[in-house]
Amino acid sequence: MTRDIRYVEARALQGHRAGFASRVVADLVDLGVVWLLGLSALVAAGVIGYLVTGPPFRLPVLPNWLDGSAVAAIAVGYLGLSWAATGRSVGKQIAGLRVVEVAGRRLSLWRSLTRALLYVLFPAGLLWVLASRRNASLQDLILRTAVVYDWAYHPADEAQPPVTRPSR
Amino acid sequence: MSRWGEEVTVPDSGRSLVPRPSERTPVRPPDGRVDVPRLLAAAAFGLAVEAQRRSLDAAAVVVTRVGSPLRILAGPAVALAQGSVAVARHHLDLDRWAARGLAEQQRAREAATRAIRGVIAAVAAAVLDQVDLDQVVARVDLDQVVDRVDLDAVAQRIDLDAIVNRIDLDAIVARVDINAILARVDIPALTEEVIDEVDLGEIIRESSSTMASETVDALRVQGMRVDGLVSRIVDRILLREGQRQTGPLDRPPRP
Repeated sequence: MTRDIRYVEARALQGHRAGFASRVVADLVDLGVVWLLGLSALVAAGVIGYLVTGPPFRLPVLPNWLDGSAVAAIAVGYLGLSWAATGRSVGKQIAGLRVVEVAGRRLSLWRSLTRALLYVLFPAGLLWVLASRRNASLQDLILRTAVVYDWAYHPADEAQPPVTRPSR
Repeated sequence: MSRWGEEVTVPDSGRSLVPRPSERTPVRPPDGRVDVPRLLAAAAFGLAVEAQRRSLDAAAVVVTRVGSPLRILAGPAVALAQGSVAVARHHLDLDRWAARGLAEQQRAREAATRAIRGVIAAVAAAVLDQVDLDQVVARVDLDQVVDRVDLDAVAQRIDLDAIVNRIDLDAIVARVDINAILARVDIPALTEEVIDEVDLGEIIRESSSTMASETVDALRVQGMRVDGLVSRIVDRILLREGQRQTGPLDRPPRP
């Protein structure tokens, strides 16, 4: 289902590299999603423990190192798989962004997972978007990826929407 | 009807008693033998009739040609005759005889009228017995008759308001059993059919989807504007000139 974009400025910017604010919004949403996934994992572990050991029901308390590692693993898995699958996680879906290679192709799985891992290890790399002339983060520069505005839903077997190419 | 057969017609004057040549029928029977007594009787009758006709013709000619002088010449004779008649009328009681004659005439006229009425009734009954009215009606082209009737004119002459005013609608409605009618209507099935046609789910889906997408679009375009604003601020701080090279990509994005 490809719907019309009613905003003229938005239509003109489809396919362009996204700026800092949109990407921060998308990442904040994704952070919330990761937190929800972690909480869900804890609840699931608690339910399993309850079923195995009986009452009372309590959430497992992880040691700090395992806690941080688990959250990081969840984040890497969630972001990496989302970018490799459709190029967009939930946050990027809401913000109308898509992660692609600079050539426009979908990310491969290893590149996607690497990009997610780099973001988890060094989130401040996103700040380079502010300074970059091409709106690229450090991770984008390292992995030759880009985040673009792409509001449209287009399945793999469908023709791509024409990209308006304004004068630079 | 009579012994004279077709020779006798209904008389309207004395001359019409005389048959025309075309109306004359031979007295000779089909077998060729001559019926003498009948021949003689017919000849005598024919002779008398012819004599009557010729005498009437002669009288008419005489009246036409010599009527006026004769009337002048006959004036004194007529006066004399009228005087004689007055004498005879007084002595012979002519008035009584005339009255009797007139009464007889009246009686004969009434008898003839009665007879003719009876004949007409009998003839009409006989004709009706012979006529098959169904066949007659079958031969009537009712379509043509109807075509000639101006139904619009007939309809215009009908005062529908007056007819409607005479109808007591309240009484009619009071006799209608609405509950019975409603009992015959399958309202649940009807309602279900209407709901099926309306497809409420599709409407809700469309409207909620439209609302959601409008909200998301507004959020996204706000993000775009903030992106541009932040970039311009940073570029100004960095004393950078020219716009950022943000795209588009050489190839459109692929999911």
